[in-house]
Amino acid sequence: MKRNWLKGFFVLSVSVLMLFSGALIFQSWAAEETIKIGVVGPRTGTAAATGKAFQEGIELALDRINKAGGVLGKKLEVIFEDTAGDPAKAASAIEKLITHDKVVMVVGESHSSAALAEIDVANRLKVPFIIAEAWHDDITKKNYKYVFRAGPCNSGVVNGYILGFIKDYGFKKVAIVAENTDWGLGIKELAEKGLKKAGITYTSLVTERKSQDHYAELNKIKKFGPDLILAFVYGFGVHYFIAQANEVGIVPQTALILEGAGPPSLWPEFWKTVGDAGNLELFVSRMHPAVTFTKVAKEFREAYKKKFHKPPTDYKSRSIFDVLLIAADALNRAGSTNPDKIVEALENTNLTVSSGVVRFGTTKGTYAYHQWQPPMLIIQWQDRKQVVVYPKDVATGKLRKQ
Amino acid sequence: MVDLLLYLTNGIVMGTSYALCALGVALVVGVMRVINFAHGEFYVLAGYLSATFASALHLGIFPSIAMSILCVFFVGLVVERFLIRPTYGNEMYSLIITFILYIIVENLYLFIFGPYPQKPPNWVSGSQNLFGLFYYGNQRLVSFVTAALLISIFLVVLHKTWLGRVIRAVAIDREMASLLGVNPTRINFFSFGLGCVLAGAAGIVLTPIFPVVPTVGVGISLTAFVVVVLGGMDSFLGAVVGGLILGIVENLGVAYISSGYKHLFGFVILILVLFLKPTGLFGHRQFQ
Amino acid sequence: MKRANLVSWCIAFVVALILPFLVSDYWLHSLISGLFYVLMASSWNLIAGYTGQVSFAHAAFAGIGCYTSGILAVKFGIPPFFGILTGIILAALLSLTLGALCIRMGGIYLSLTTLGFSEIVRIIIQNEYKITRGTMGLKVPFLFGNYSKITAFYIMLAAVVLVLVGIYFVLKSDLGLQFRAVQNDEIAAASVGVPVVFVRLTAFVMAGSLAALAGGLYGHYLLLITPHIPSLDTMFLVLAMTVIGGMGTMAGPVVGALFLEILSEYIRVYGEFHVLVFAIVAMIFARFFPQGIVGFMGNLIKQKT
Repeated sequence: MKRNWLKGFFVLSVSVLMLFSGALIFQSWAAEETIKIGVVGPRTGTAAATGKAFQEGIELALDRINKAGGVLGKKLEVIFEDTAGDPAKAASAIEKLITHDKVVMVVGESHSSAALAEIDVANRLKVPFIIAEAWHDDITKKNYKYVFRAGPCNSGVVNGYILGFIKDYGFKKVAIVAENTDWGLGIKELAEKGLKKAGITYTSLVTERKSQDHYAELNKIKKFGPDLILAFVYGFGVHYFIAQANEVGIVPQTALILEGAGPPSLWPEFWKTVGDAGNLELFVSRMHPAVTFTKVAKEFREAYKKKFHKPPTDYKSRSIFDVLLIAADALNRAGSTNPDKIVEALENTNLTVSSGVVRFGTTKGTYAYHQWQPPMLIIQWQDRKQVVVYPKDVATGKLRKQ
Repeated sequence: MVDLLLYLTNGIVMGTSYALCALGVALVVGVMRVINFAHGEFYVLAGYLSATFASALHLGIFPSIAMSILCVFFVGLVVERFLIRPTYGNEMYSLIITFILYIIVENLYLFIFGPYPQKPPNWVSGSQNLFGLFYYGNQRLVSFVTAALLISIFLVVLHKTWLGRVIRAVAIDREMASLLGVNPTRINFFSFGLGCVLAGAAGIVLTPIFPVVPTVGVGISLTAFVVVVLGGMDSFLGAVVGGLILGIVENLGVAYISSGYKHLFGFVILILVLFLKPTGLFGHRQFQ
Repeated sequence: MKRANLVSWCIAFVVALILPFLVSDYWLHSLISGLFYVLMASSWNLIAGYTGQVSFAHAAFAGIGCYTSGILAVKFGIPPFFGILTGIILAALLSLTLGALCIRMGGIYLSLTTLGFSEIVRIIIQNEYKITRGTMGLKVPFLFGNYSKITAFYIMLAAVVLVLVGIYFVLKSDLGLQFRAVQNDEIAAASVGVPVVFVRLTAFVMAGSLAALAGGLYGHYLLLITPHIPSLDTMFLVLAMTVIGGMGTMAGPVVGALFLEILSEYIRVYGEFHVLVFAIVAMIFARFFPQGIVGFMGNLIKQKT
């Protein structure tokens, strides 16, 4: 009797599996013909929140592009593949998109280490790849033909914004805390170089992205006595860091903290974890309700509010929105899905997206090749309101130090 | 000197919570001869539940804690009844089952609670100037006192009450205890639930300081295993001392060697202990 | 070996030989991963299934294999073939040391020691990012010559066939009998003169070296190695494949590895939750069909005839 039950169970589970696969095959058969673009990004792991922001941006971009007639006369379809923020998974994700799903372009990514693995695959398989949010200089410095970046790069952020902010507001002593990833180590090195040149004293510490207890590191920072801490830690780690820095009496008591990535300061968990310690925290961003770079920015904001019934917070939803617009525009101008034609079209891009007018660099030799640096903002939380404090020409308020 | 004192304080505070969690492992190993790989998942469960009860149901801090502990206990009982009981007497089988259970539960948390950290409200806020030397978070101090209190209560129950005597009797000699009329299956059932409650208690105490994410459970389990091996698998006192030692070693290591290697020190201790004195500091016999 | 068994192994081999010409590049990638897991699960089965010891260091040994060879190739330009060989030797030495340390105590102590060792390996690789590039991943050259999936497939297949034949002959030999004697009843085995510690240690070292071989080959195929290879996640996959396929059988790990690899392709659409599905399937098998697919099918056939 019991045996029969077990056997039945086994047969049942096998047939469920077969049904699933049958449904999958049917799905792919029933789908109409579309043009496919792949998106890579972390939907799981420590930065899964970025995946959510990407998902929102993708939906808005699809609405906009398909309402305007799609690409090459067909509907645009996006396949979003998870990288989990892991370079090995990222490489196989982009390979799957290209060889299995036959996407004509790939966009996205927000981890430098993952992007550095992906660009090799994209270049090997000759499929154009536009990076949205992986900042490491090497990504474009390699001068790969099929790799573009319509987003910030470390050099652009450090030299164009962070160093200017430090000098203009007269900070004297800077502590740098960086995570041990390509982005963290790369941006740390650039910041050190710039501070040295500017004659500002600094110290730096390397930390683990997932670590939770920072008392020992904070003790070292406290002894150094900085008036600004640059935190290049992506993910929730930076929340713990800020909360504990407040407990041991550093921020905002004796120093301000500038979080060098942005989104972690905008995630809903930020205030829950840091509490009042988050007041006066600074972060890098690409989006603020009072700063509209272009008309598209306003339209994005309205479409977002209409679709998700809340104002957009994580700027990465807009970053992916922008790169999808750039991709669709290039496809339409190329007039075909031939990768070399798409690259040529991308090189001639002159498109207004939400954060400005996109034009890619075409001189080989530096990181500026196939790179477009969007304008950035440095924002301070003041009584739980975002105040733009840098660059000064778009500032919406004054920097508060105490 | 001030540094050293800070690191020692932090070590003792963390170590106390390690000890609380490891007592659960020591109990389950001692009574049932089962290493529960999913031990840390009960820590995570307690953290999530207390955060959820407090934020979604708007319960106060203490009612939500009490409810979470109760839930953890029942989940523990269910796991024992349906997954652990069929493995009695086969330690390899139970290890495989609990290892798979840990993967299931970790991914279920991801499914249910999402990847974001969740945090029950702080019991207290602000910080204290300790010894006039450094600032120390109030929540950490309160958590430390609570963990120490819970450990004391557990040890008193174990040594002074009828229930404690029965548990210890089964731990020392199963056959003898059952000859004397104790029902070992029932004691197993209850002990497993209690072991889970101890992990949950550690979760309650620590999650206001370190918010929970779905993946922290395995680290908690591994830390608890290190503590139990260090203290001796059949010793409750050993778990307490082992927890404190590990806490201090980790913090000194982070301060003077490298923060990236925080968790390495524990595993080095684990291998050294197994090599030099497999019974641990306070253990008497090898676990077979 | 029974005739029917031999015939099915041969058919499987011939199918595998022509497979690269039938499937797309994408499926070829899955197949190569599948073969990696066949190697991993079959060698883990040697200790877990045949001598009854649950080692959690298997993924760590694969990590030692790929990182040794990868670092040698990147820093010193040593060809992967010699690199992998060095990795295997290093893994063998490490498993010998580790085994000598804890196998005498057996059972749970082995599991805990290997668990500790596994975490130590992962933490060191993650932290020594100046050498290993930590979570950023180390880019390594292809096995030899130009990158080609078909080459990688045949090299992997050759390794699998050699290892499976090797395991088969080991199990048929006196040593194989001793493996089982130790698993069934250690004390009885010792009393009839089986050198229990030596037998266990042999199995442990063999498994560790084979894991390093698998890791080395796979790393040079992937071109990018990360601490994901020596992680408990990989360890779980190996364990789940062996349990689902059937512990203690030759075919079990092969069936289990290929089954999960193909299943993973079908449930990819559920993204992050495919590990959950794996784990639930593994739990159902561990709890209700501990003999796995192979054992279960074997029983069905026996009942019918």
